[in-house]
Amino acid sequence: MAELLEVRQVSRRFYKGRSLVTAVNGVSFSLGRGEVLGIVGESGSGKTTLIKMVTRLLEADEGEILLEGEDITRAAGAGLRKARRQMQLVFQTPQDSFDPRQTLGRGILEGMVNNGVPRREAERRLPELLRQCGLSPDYARRYPYQVSGGECQRAAIARAVAVEPALLICDEATSALDVTVQAQVMALLEQLRRERGMAILFICHDLALVQQFCHRVLVLHRGKVVEEGTPDQVILHPKSDYTRTLVDAAL
Amino acid sequence: MEQKRRRPLRGVTLRLALCALLTGLILLVAVFAPLLTPYDPYAQDMSAALQAPSAAHLLGTDTYGRDVLSRVIMGARTSVFSSLALVAIICVGGSFLGVLCGWLGGKVDTVVMRLSDLFLAFPGMVFAIAVAGLIGGGMVNAVIALAAISWPKYTRLARGQTLAVKSAPYITAAVMANNTPLQIIFRHILPNIAGPLLVTAALDIGTMMMELAGLSFLNLGAQPPTAEWGSMMSKGRSMIQTSPWVVLGPGFAIFLTVLVFNFLGDTLRDYLDPKRRGVRSE
Repeated sequence: MAELLEVRQVSRRFYKGRSLVTAVNGVSFSLGRGEVLGIVGESGSGKTTLIKMVTRLLEADEGEILLEGEDITRAAGAGLRKARRQMQLVFQTPQDSFDPRQTLGRGILEGMVNNGVPRREAERRLPELLRQCGLSPDYARRYPYQVSGGECQRAAIARAVAVEPALLICDEATSALDVTVQAQVMALLEQLRRERGMAILFICHDLALVQQFCHRVLVLHRGKVVEEGTPDQVILHPKSDYTRTLVDAAL
Repeated sequence: MEQKRRRPLRGVTLRLALCALLTGLILLVAVFAPLLTPYDPYAQDMSAALQAPSAAHLLGTDTYGRDVLSRVIMGARTSVFSSLALVAIICVGGSFLGVLCGWLGGKVDTVVMRLSDLFLAFPGMVFAIAVAGLIGGGMVNAVIALAAISWPKYTRLARGQTLAVKSAPYITAAVMANNTPLQIIFRHILPNIAGPLLVTAALDIGTMMMELAGLSFLNLGAQPPTAEWGSMMSKGRSMIQTSPWVVLGPGFAIFLTVLVFNFLGDTLRDYLDPKRRGVRSE
């Protein structure tokens, strides 16, 4: 059976002033169903560019991206819509990821309705969805600025899982939260993963979290994969100098 | 705590209600002007020329013996409606171009922005005078002339706001939620950039009213005998020392109307700022 996500030799270059910078350079990895893959690396290592290419928010200059065996690298129209339904993003700053003029409920419903769930059915499902994410149904009527960062991130997770994606991409989803809230959000993600069998692409700075939560880890440095393996292999027995520096810095 | 956070909402809402009331009053005067005038604003009576304000003529009469109050009331129609039409044209048209530039970027953005640079490089009023001179006087032509020079402000504002909003995570979330570009523009971009545009438009109503009055003052706007505040001031300017009421009537009308629209603009800015509105009652 095909992997859920296969990324093959993708690259992306940008012009920074007049010089051409390679943000992601021939990165390949794969992700199975229900698997959690951590991507670590310092700022500017290409993590965000990589997930933007995976979600097709950015075009890859080279390489292929396959979702459920289908090449989505150049997908457009209905193909792209289908791919986006299968993968959802959870952002670093939860409050900025909701339209400040719309209630959290409206934000959550939008994706469901756009992806073919009848509005009434979506509204019926909403309270249960919020409850699953540890929020009472009345949060649907609140605005992003009326809830705490942790509550907003729970709502963002509810929005992401509402369309029942096969892949959840967390772009430093816990780094703006304090430690206790972080633990709650991680527990929620783990619970949802088990219940729904979602794969998670977990981009993170915190190596301890990665070790605890991920099945495999990918270390990115200057746009290239420098190491890949289980968290214990990578964090406890790093092979590359860069990973060692990263681990030492975290300790 | 809850009480404290709700208080600003009441204040702003109260101010907005007051502004709406005053604006509504001005609009009602403009709409029902023919019914409100105590005299026919166009009827000349040379025997009653340049009479000082009295019980019969509250704001006096002009050189042709026409009742100034009646002309001020009738002038509201021309001045207010043409200013509103002008602001609506430049705000809607300019903003549309701006959102398009901000969202699409690339060549569309470059071409429209260079075009707006071109229009901004002309001294505004001089250009309007040239346009009005070229296509002739009259209120419609004055509106066209001012629209031709005033749209770049809205285009630039809408473009800048769109660019700022476009990079926000909630727009990325909207893309991931499979919204079409039009849905993103109408559901997420326009509501979030409407505040500054509406405030600018509300503040511009006053400015445009004065610019239209300026063109009329230069005989490039409303043509006689149309009652219009700017042209009324223009006709009466030589009498400011002998019969000041001829100028003061329309002058005060412009002053008060501009003040009300500016007040409306400021209040709208406060009201539309989501962070200032505080917690909504459940």
